Amino acid sequence: MSNITLEGISKSYGDLQAVDDVDLSIRDGELLCLLGPSGCGKSTTMRMISGLETPTSGEVYIGGENVTDQAAYDRDTSMVFQNWALFPYKTVLENVAFGLKMRGDGTDERQQKARDMLERVHMDGYEEHSPTDLSGGQKQRVALARSLAVDPDVLLLDEPLSNLDKRLREEMQIELKDIHKEFDKTFVYVTHNQNEAFTLADRIGIMNDGRLVQVGEPTEVYRNPTNRFVEEFLGDTNFVAGEVTDVNDQYGRLSTEFGATIRVPAADAVEPGASFTVSLRPEFMQIRRSNGANEREGTAARADGTGGDTVVGSVENTIYRGSSIRYVVDTGGEHLFVEQSVTDQTGIEEGEQVELGWNTDDILVFRPDGSRVRDE
Amino acid sequence: MRLESDRLGVAAFRLGYATIFVAMLLPIFIVIATSFSASGNLQFPPEGFSLRWYGAFFADIQWLRAFDNSFIVGIGTTVLATFMGITAAFGLEARKGRLGGLLTPVVILPLLIPPVILGVTLLVYFSALGLQSSYIGIILAHSLWATPLVFFVMQSVFQRFDWQLRDAGMDLGANPIRAFVHVVLPNVKNGIVVSALLAFIISLQEFVMALFLSNFQTQTIPVLAWNSLRQSLTPTVSVVSTFLILISVVGLAVAALAMNIDFVAKRLG
Repeated sequence: MSNITLEGISKSYGDLQAVDDVDLSIRDGELLCLLGPSGCGKSTTMRMISGLETPTSGEVYIGGENVTDQAAYDRDTSMVFQNWALFPYKTVLENVAFGLKMRGDGTDERQQKARDMLERVHMDGYEEHSPTDLSGGQKQRVALARSLAVDPDVLLLDEPLSNLDKRLREEMQIELKDIHKEFDKTFVYVTHNQNEAFTLADRIGIMNDGRLVQVGEPTEVYRNPTNRFVEEFLGDTNFVAGEVTDVNDQYGRLSTEFGATIRVPAADAVEPGASFTVSLRPEFMQIRRSNGANEREGTAARADGTGGDTVVGSVENTIYRGSSIRYVVDTGGEHLFVEQSVTDQTGIEEGEQVELGWNTDDILVFRPDGSRVRDE
Repeated sequence: MRLESDRLGVAAFRLGYATIFVAMLLPIFIVIATSFSASGNLQFPPEGFSLRWYGAFFADIQWLRAFDNSFIVGIGTTVLATFMGITAAFGLEARKGRLGGLLTPVVILPLLIPPVILGVTLLVYFSALGLQSSYIGIILAHSLWATPLVFFVMQSVFQRFDWQLRDAGMDLGANPIRAFVHVVLPNVKNGIVVSALLAFIISLQEFVMALFLSNFQTQTIPVLAWNSLRQSLTPTVSVVSTFLILISVVGLAVAALAMNIDFVAKRLG
């Protein structure tokens, strides 16, 4: 068993609170991504799991055992560093065998294990090379082999792919997923890249300002964020601010900055006069050519009978993004952007009058302090 | 016009530096030359050429003992100063604590106190402890000077060291001592060689404190040189100086080589 439990761990350096009262349970054998912007405390949290940092307060349990006061060299965790931290004065084989040597394995045994591990990461043939001669991707593989060689209960990965180019990074993500399946160990993976987290993670823990904001499966945190920070960090979205004018038993009406009044969900949690910000995800909006029934830009919003709103505007910019096209639409001062798959082939061009539509239930509502307004 | 004056300036600058350089090196050459003198006078140019003063040196038990003393004190200082300087610099760089910032000015203090004052003070102090005229006393005195220099060399070496490597070593099961030996040491060994040589040369050429703290049995080369110079001016002193210069030059060459290897290794890394 190698589940990890963090109980109220904090870490401060002088006046700087790097990690602030984090509670987290990591299940045995899962791949959990700690995701957040740089300086959010995710790496420090991971270093406290490894034992390279000691929490200022709180407890760390691995496999049910309290390891808070255990040094890094006594813990059954192994870390892959961002810059790989390969020993420059040792050969690739010596690097991979290092942990086994420290553990007291005999020369033949540890060399055999190290060779096997290098083969597993497709680095056989490089045993006698110096790590300084290797490319970034190769260093990455050697670092991975070195950490896996000691057969740790928990593998910790600290942004291991951030120094690789995009193609290599995506290739390594798939390989890491395979390795995770094959070795059946608990992986904790730190990254600031939400795509990477979505690709790899069984669950994602989102951190900001030293706090753990939300933990959940990728679809859960994406579709059901606890606050505005999560919504914003996990992908591009349109935030529109406004004031609630009236509320009926189904919807509230929000008078927005761009003039249109749109319907918002969570009628029992909003009240007239209060200010809110709503998030309209670009992929949840539809775009179509305006049929001319509503020529005045941005001023009209109407129900189209499907439980949503539409707003008209003109296309200011189309951005080709490979698999999708992004339309930036001027709705009378406010810019909203929509994303459509290239296969949709709407053929809409810059300058055209369009209608944007969405379902009211896809809108997320946030209070001025960033907290989420939820449907009762 | 401007170019002309520039060129003139550069020429004057070079000439000035060359003069200073020659003025600095000339005494060394004169000393070496006079050591091969055939006569008993310490004069330049030397009268004739012979190795008789080298013979006299190796026949003189007092000089040989002074060499032994200097080496004992030098090696003692090297071991003590290198150990203390390395551990201090390591602790400061590895931990980055607030106390470390206060340590640096304290470390430099012995270098700012005149050696005469240090010598007298230590003489009083060591007498109380029964350490006067002992090797240990001179080694401690020389370490006061050598340790800060080792500390500063090693501090800059450790600043260039990638501390993540040590983390990686500890993470893979190496306790702090094994992580130092297996991970840190290979990366800083050239710096250690340089600072050890520095400590040795400092001790070898230190005169004032050794004068206060040694006796007839434990006197080092500079002390004996001073004593014999006061009695008579013979080319034996030049022979001794030649040896000291030789040791320093070899030491410097090794240090430069070690530095260079370190530099090249970093570049390749």
